[in-house]
Amino acid sequence: MFEDRLLVWRFKAASRDALRAIYEKYADDLLTLAANLLDDKIGAEDVVQDVFITFAESADKFRLTGSLKGFLAKCVANRSRDYNRRIRRRQTAAVNSTERRTHEVTNPVQLVISSEELTKLRHAMTELPYEQREAVVLHLHGEMRFRQIAKSQKVSTKTVQSRYRYGLDKLRSGMNGEVRR
Amino acid sequence: MRLADNIEESIRKLRYKTDAETHKKVLGNVLQRLDKREEQKSGVIKPDIWRTIMNTRTRKFATAAVILIAATITLYIIAGPFGATTSVYAEVAERLQKALTMTYKITTTTPVEWMPDMEIEVAFKEPGLMRMTAPGGYVSVMDALQGKGLSIIPATSQFIEIDLTNLPAGQEQGPLNAIQRFKSLPETADEELGEREIDGRTVQGFRVTEEGMILSVWIDPKTRELVEMEMEFVNAPGMSSKMTDIRFNVELPDDLFSITPPAGYTRHEVQFDASELSEDDLIEFLRLWSSMTIDKTFLPTLNPAELPNVVMAMVKAGKFGPDRETTEKDQPLINNITMTTTRAVMFIMKLPSESKWNYAGENVKYGDAETAIFWYKPAGSQTYRVIYGDLSVTDVAEQELPE
Repeated sequence: MFEDRLLVWRFKAASRDALRAIYEKYADDLLTLAANLLDDKIGAEDVVQDVFITFAESADKFRLTGSLKGFLAKCVANRSRDYNRRIRRRQTAAVNSTERRTHEVTNPVQLVISSEELTKLRHAMTELPYEQREAVVLHLHGEMRFRQIAKSQKVSTKTVQSRYRYGLDKLRSGMNGEVRR
Repeated sequence: MRLADNIEESIRKLRYKTDAETHKKVLGNVLQRLDKREEQKSGVIKPDIWRTIMNTRTRKFATAAVILIAATITLYIIAGPFGATTSVYAEVAERLQKALTMTYKITTTTPVEWMPDMEIEVAFKEPGLMRMTAPGGYVSVMDALQGKGLSIIPATSQFIEIDLTNLPAGQEQGPLNAIQRFKSLPETADEELGEREIDGRTVQGFRVTEEGMILSVWIDPKTRELVEMEMEFVNAPGMSSKMTDIRFNVELPDDLFSITPPAGYTRHEVQFDASELSEDDLIEFLRLWSSMTIDKTFLPTLNPAELPNVVMAMVKAGKFGPDRETTEKDQPLINNITMTTTRAVMFIMKLPSESKWNYAGENVKYGDAETAIFWYKPAGSQTYRVIYGDLSVTDVAEQELPE
């Protein structure tokens, strides 16, 4: 926390080193968050880049009121939601899946642990309705409380808790089904 | 164990990485944007009005016309007659942000007639070192890097160690927050105040409204130097602080910010009550301090930023009776004062601006059941909590609050 506050101080004084340190500290966590939120890994990379670029541009106005990671995670969540909405609106499911397959092959964004079961889990995640996936990912990877997610999704905390529970149930049953088969 | 058996743990394992080349490319783009932003700031600040207009997708003529008129007025105000002075302000605001060291003197004036002005010298050094020197040799040093601070009390040859990491969330830097706030002035001022003379120099003034504070910033347009900054506090009417002798990037040796106590000084132990803060903490604080003043009046201010200075001035003015040497027997009372004050100040600092807290205890005597001395609106409440001079509390509708 203290380290982050000092980094933000130096960043606000236009320190390139401070911005580099912030990027190096959080880029992988944010990439994980975005990649789990989106079906498209190229999109995840773009979202993280956009978040850091906007952050760099806001150096003068930026004021840290909570945790820096929490702030950046919220930015990734908002951008991912916009990105997802835009993609869905723009492309048909068929084109989307073709693009997605191409991205999977060429994209350097990859799972840290690559196992058959984790790959299945990854696919099961992409099948979840976005709101449920968001609740699960923001809570488990973004370390956000249900109350914070509720604020971000503009729904009640109970709704987020239900989305989280339903999401986990679907993933669990999806995984069990896959294993049995 | 199958992944499905502990699904939450399994999801946490879905971590992603990318290659070093991609990181390098993205980081390069991000740093380039920071550099570009800095380059743009060194030029004249102009609003991108035309892009705003061109991006406006409205098809209604009347709406477009209103936007155009508003944009033209904005352009006139910003780039028109006041353009040159606005850039003077922006330049100083930027220099403040980038300053690696800074020294200044802060003089606080209260509306209380008998109270003399109070002066504190402040030195600040990035990253996060601060030293405050008050009359009488009282020195406080904060080191945000180590999360520690030290206050020395020359009168009793004692020192107090401060653990900044134990402060509540959002206040970890304690007094350093004030410096950070001062350093991050907005890049544009709200209003131009015209010219005036300070020590034979013609300076130009700008007004900036920050949360709970109104700042008047006075700049020498010839040298582009920040000459004076005056702060007025919304919650402490009549009280103001003036910053003078402001210097940026002067050489400040690290040992000036040493948190090692001087030789021969003994530790002043302060125990801390970490239970939940409440209105009762403030009431206890009001009771304690009014019991210590000779005339049994309440303190003239509750502004946390000014409270130490005000109390120090009251001691000098004999408001608590004749000053005397402290003894071992005083220790429990000193501990109680420290604890009660800290908790009350923390309670006040945690009140959001929506609470509209107000203090009117100045010159009110303890026991006065008719006079309201403090009121605030708790979160989610329709009514205000009002504390009276006898420290009784009632719920009062907004329209029935004292004027």
